[in-house]
Amino acid sequence: MGEIIELKGKGVPKVGVYICHCGFNIASKVRVDEVVDFAATLPNVVVARSNKYTCSDPGQEVIRKDIKEMGLDRVVVASCTPLLHEHTFRKTVETGGLNPFLFHMVNIREDVSWVTDDGDRATEKAKALVAAGVRRVLYQKPLEKRRAAIKSDVLIIGGGIGGITAALDIADSGKKVTLVEREPTIGGVMAKFDKTFPTLDCAACILTPKMTAVASHPNIKLLTFSEVKDVSGYIGDFRASIVKKPRRVIESKCTGCGECANVCPVYMPNAFDENLGMRKATYKPFAQAVPNVHTIEKTGTSPCTYTCPAGINAHGYVALASAGKYDEAFNLILESTPLVATLGRACYAPCEEECTRGELEGTVRIRRLKRFIADRYYENHPEPEYGPPDKELDKKVAIVGSGPAGLTAAYFLRKMGYQVTIFEKEPRPGGMLRVGIPEYRLPNDVLDRDIKNVLALGVGIQTYTEVKSLDDLRKKGFDAIFLATGTHGVRKMDIEGENLSGVVNCMEFLTSINYGKKTDLTGKTILVVGGGNAALDSARAALRLGARKVTIQYRRSRAEMPAFPEEIDAAEKEGITISYLTTPVKFEGEGGKLKYVQSVQMQLGEPDDTGRRKPIPIPGSESIANIDMAIIAIGLMPTTSPWAEQLNLNRDGTIQVDPETLQTSLPHVFAGGDVVLGPSIIVNAIGQGRRAAHYIDKYLKGEDLKATTFVFRSADMVSKHDVLTRSIITHAMSLPKKELPVDERITNFKEVEIALTEEEALKDTKRCLNCSVCSDCHLCKTICSAEAIDYGMKEEVIDVEAGVIIVTTGFKPFDPKRISAYGYGRFPNVYTSLEVERLVNSSGPTQGEVILRDGRKPERIGIIHCVGSRDKEYNQYCSKVCCMYSLKLAHLLKERTGADIYNFYIDMRTPGKGYEEFYHKLLEEGVHFVRGRVGEVTDWAVTAKEEGKLIIRVEDTLLGMVRRIPVDMVVLSVALEPQKDADDVRRLLNLSCSSEGFFLERHPKLAPVATFTDGIYIAGACQGPKDIPETVAQASAAAAQALSLVDRGYVELEPNTAYINSELCSGCHVCIAICPYGAITYNSEKKVAESNEVLCKGCGSCVAACPSGAIDQHLFENEQIINELEGVLSYV
Amino acid sequence: MFEPKIVAFFCNWCTYTAADLAGVSRMKYSPNVRIIRVMCSGRIDPELIVKAFEKGADGVIIGGCHPGDCHYQNGNHKTLRRYKLLKGLVEQFDIEWERLRLEWISASEGEKVQRVSNEFTEQIRVLGPIQMKGGRVVHG
Ligand code: FES
Repeated sequence: MGEIIELKGKGVPKVGVYICHCGFNIASKVRVDEVVDFAATLPNVVVARSNKYTCSDPGQEVIRKDIKEMGLDRVVVASCTPLLHEHTFRKTVETGGLNPFLFHMVNIREDVSWVTDDGDRATEKAKALVAAGVRRVLYQKPLEKRRAAIKSDVLIIGGGIGGITAALDIADSGKKVTLVEREPTIGGVMAKFDKTFPTLDCAACILTPKMTAVASHPNIKLLTFSEVKDVSGYIGDFRASIVKKPRRVIESKCTGCGECANVCPVYMPNAFDENLGMRKATYKPFAQAVPNVHTIEKTGTSPCTYTCPAGINAHGYVALASAGKYDEAFNLILESTPLVATLGRACYAPCEEECTRGELEGTVRIRRLKRFIADRYYENHPEPEYGPPDKELDKKVAIVGSGPAGLTAAYFLRKMGYQVTIFEKEPRPGGMLRVGIPEYRLPNDVLDRDIKNVLALGVGIQTYTEVKSLDDLRKKGFDAIFLATGTHGVRKMDIEGENLSGVVNCMEFLTSINYGKKTDLTGKTILVVGGGNAALDSARAALRLGARKVTIQYRRSRAEMPAFPEEIDAAEKEGITISYLTTPVKFEGEGGKLKYVQSVQMQLGEPDDTGRRKPIPIPGSESIANIDMAIIAIGLMPTTSPWAEQLNLNRDGTIQVDPETLQTSLPHVFAGGDVVLGPSIIVNAIGQGRRAAHYIDKYLKGEDLKATTFVFRSADMVSKHDVLTRSIITHAMSLPKKELPVDERITNFKEVEIALTEEEALKDTKRCLNCSVCSDCHLCKTICSAEAIDYGMKEEVIDVEAGVIIVTTGFKPFDPKRISAYGYGRFPNVYTSLEVERLVNSSGPTQGEVILRDGRKPERIGIIHCVGSRDKEYNQYCSKVCCMYSLKLAHLLKERTGADIYNFYIDMRTPGKGYEEFYHKLLEEGVHFVRGRVGEVTDWAVTAKEEGKLIIRVEDTLLGMVRRIPVDMVVLSVALEPQKDADDVRRLLNLSCSSEGFFLERHPKLAPVATFTDGIYIAGACQGPKDIPETVAQASAAAAQALSLVDRGYVELEPNTAYINSELCSGCHVCIAICPYGAITYNSEKKVAESNEVLCKGCGSCVAACPSGAIDQHLFENEQIINELEGVLSYV
Repeated sequence: MFEPKIVAFFCNWCTYTAADLAGVSRMKYSPNVRIIRVMCSGRIDPELIVKAFEKGADGVIIGGCHPGDCHYQNGNHKTLRRYKLLKGLVEQFDIEWERLRLEWISASEGEKVQRVSNEFTEQIRVLGPIQMKGGRVVHG
């Protein structure tokens, strides 16, 4: 013994030092005897020895003996890492009669002998570390291990064969298990297999009984379609938040009968079949899925539906029509508007502008499909199938105006049971639809049939009635009024000659035509002034009345023209001249009758307050032309002047309303449609009608209008990008326009657009990409007798407490698109191994028949091993199972097709019970084996024999030559990779990952299912590629470890907690803010901080933060560390 | 050749485990680097850093888990904030702040332990022995 250190009040502790050879592991670099001699000179050391294996029984016995015989007070062992054997030696010391925390372990293997080249330097470093250990241990204090209770429940994340096995093992022992799976069913990848190697057992036959056992086990709580979103706590006391995604089917009610899937009109690629087959939006991944319930896949609202200002479910009716359910489609539209056929013709279809198919070959013709649906329905149903509502309310509502807004509001209010009367000043209802849109776009009888949808409910209508006084209506007993009188006034031009006979406004002109007053314009020259739809309609109508020449003058350029482009195109096609940047300045006549127009050219100046560039006349550009009639269509405006006294109006005459509730300055009066919006489109008016009905109902019920907002859409719009990238999209050309030829239409008012045939309509519906997947058509809800469908189902958060967590999250197959030379995704007949698993599966998309994507049956098949494995570019590791599953697939493919099979391998790796025998069986079956990594797969034929085939080019390393082998089908045996979100799970659970991204086990040999986080175990392919038996074995191992913890009922915790010296504490609160566990509180009486050892996890952050040096950490006291430093820095 | 003395404070959960991995993988690195294990990088008290230099270290490495991965939620965030202050602190003693290095090393990054140790040893070798305030040569 060298120097002697006396501890204040504790005497002179005696230290024993034990240096381990660890066989050759340490001794080959570190001169152990020299270190022993050195140790003997260290302060307070009374004995220093070496041992071949200190951790062996005799090695430990030496220490115990020395403690007893020599009265050691402290022990230092210098050997391997404390993470391996600290525990062992603490036990040794304890059984020797010393407090286990009076021991310190020095790492001279991982930290010295294994990482140092030079023997001298290794020995020097070992000495320094031993010196550090001896100095440190002197200041260590006896401590008690803390105990914490362990909750007996176990949480298992991942419901593949690993999770299933662990769950059953634990549940059978009587403990409770929560099993979380993110897919709608448990079973994992194994459920996709037809057979398992090498026994060729039917995978489903061995897996599904276990799956059902899980579902029916009283001790297992199964949460499918759920994901763990948050985990907090520690071993023995974990808390997890699990998000149960809305399945839209109530699990407890669903009987799994499958009626919903039968009626569902939406087809999607079936991910369970690796997208080789189709499934419905309402689906069960496979027949034996557990739980045996359906799931409705809905990813948001489709862009078409989302966009519709009237809230009409465009995706829904297109989907219904695609299934030939035309009546259902009609009724779905009727849920949002009575004006089905009108919209099918005259709507400007904002939905089509948003259609995702528009990003590809062109939009689905949604409007024309609606017309098809309506026409077909009306053909069979000249009258509505319903009458007045069952429920009658006594409140009365007056609707002023029978355009789209008024009709819609009347329709919805009457359906609620209110007594509704419409007041219309014209002879027939329809508003702008009646008088503003000529019959070649919207025939009168079509509009009449739409209006029947409103009137059949028992809505009263008074035509020829103009409402001047709102008070009168009130006096007549109307409890609420909805004003929807549109914009039937036409702005004046305020130029000379405007009052000449022959100058008319477009509304007068169009109204008279629509009421059948067909003025003969044969041979006449007509001028239409304006650039809106009314101008276009007037011009096209004039042409049909026989006009010789029709010219439109518009004062801005085409880019600013408010009319819809399709209308402009149609007008031009029909021979109408449009003069842009031109406007009349004067009309001249003879005998009070119009004769000439003087026009001027314009140029565009600065933008005005509408943002459009202001037209400025070009001086000297005037010209004069001969005309017979001028139709003024420069702007429509509301005629609200009679109500100016009673309501607040805007400057342009529109009515001021609350944009949300549509309530005017008079509480009982609401207004909507063009009279509020100014000239707009039909669907906007319908949307306003619906909104008004909603709020008038609330008003009449005396509810607070501001309590809620009114929205049609149930969910956010799906991202088109997601839709376009989500899976296989088949190419489909869009429908061409179908119209009457120009010369057949310009002489009459026949409908220009020709209806779709059923065949065309069906074809177009099939182009729908089903953006949101479920179309909200509601067929499944109608059919489900168990009442299990719940479209409004919300995400549910379930909190689970558990003592132990087992992670069995599995793997993801390598994406072979990354190796472009193998042509996956380019050549349809290149398959992944998992796709072939489905193809040979009797319950797969082809019922087990091997039919290629091009419909052929393969006669020659090449199976390429190691795709994405054993390749530095992708994954350096061997995926371990590919050789065997390739052999299995070779066997199955041969059995099913009789084809010639080639396996291209680098090395055959078949260790395992019966595996090598299986390989030999395949050799005997006549499967070919070519040794060599495939260079490329191409369709480039050089001989006639290669024509139409895929050619595998490979260097046969046994023959020493490059070969070209033509085949019909290529199977890529893809690698097993960590799950895409493995890193998220790692963070969630505080695990570590290996550099490949698989979860890291605590020790590769001795703790293969434990992790560095106590109480969390891993099993199966999430830890690294492995096959089913290995996964099952690991799962059982994890279950056993979990049970052993849970059964003991408590864990021993390191006593490395922080403690506060209250004499030094200044009460500054810094530590309180810093502690992540809330383990420190302020004692306001004593004005000091106090720490709670039960909550403290022992990180020591507070020690570092305390400005007064009042906090220290057991086992890691500053004094101990500083003494360790001293040793580390002593060079000898 | 000048052999610098380097102390490495490694957190138990990521960086110390990474050092074990470096050992298991037999990655050789400079024996000048000597590891002291603490539970979390957040435990590194400024006093320990000052003491390390005072007792003769020519360089100090603090190793912790990557941001977001700390076993104790956010101990390494505190370390990062403290690191900025510590650099100022050592400069007050006329010690170049480059002698104090902070590294995030995860349990799978054994190779990073090797790289950082070798790099840092070379860097300190170039800086030379430490000189403390007042021209007092502490060692070297
Ligand atoms: S545990 Fe590694 S930095 Fe906190």
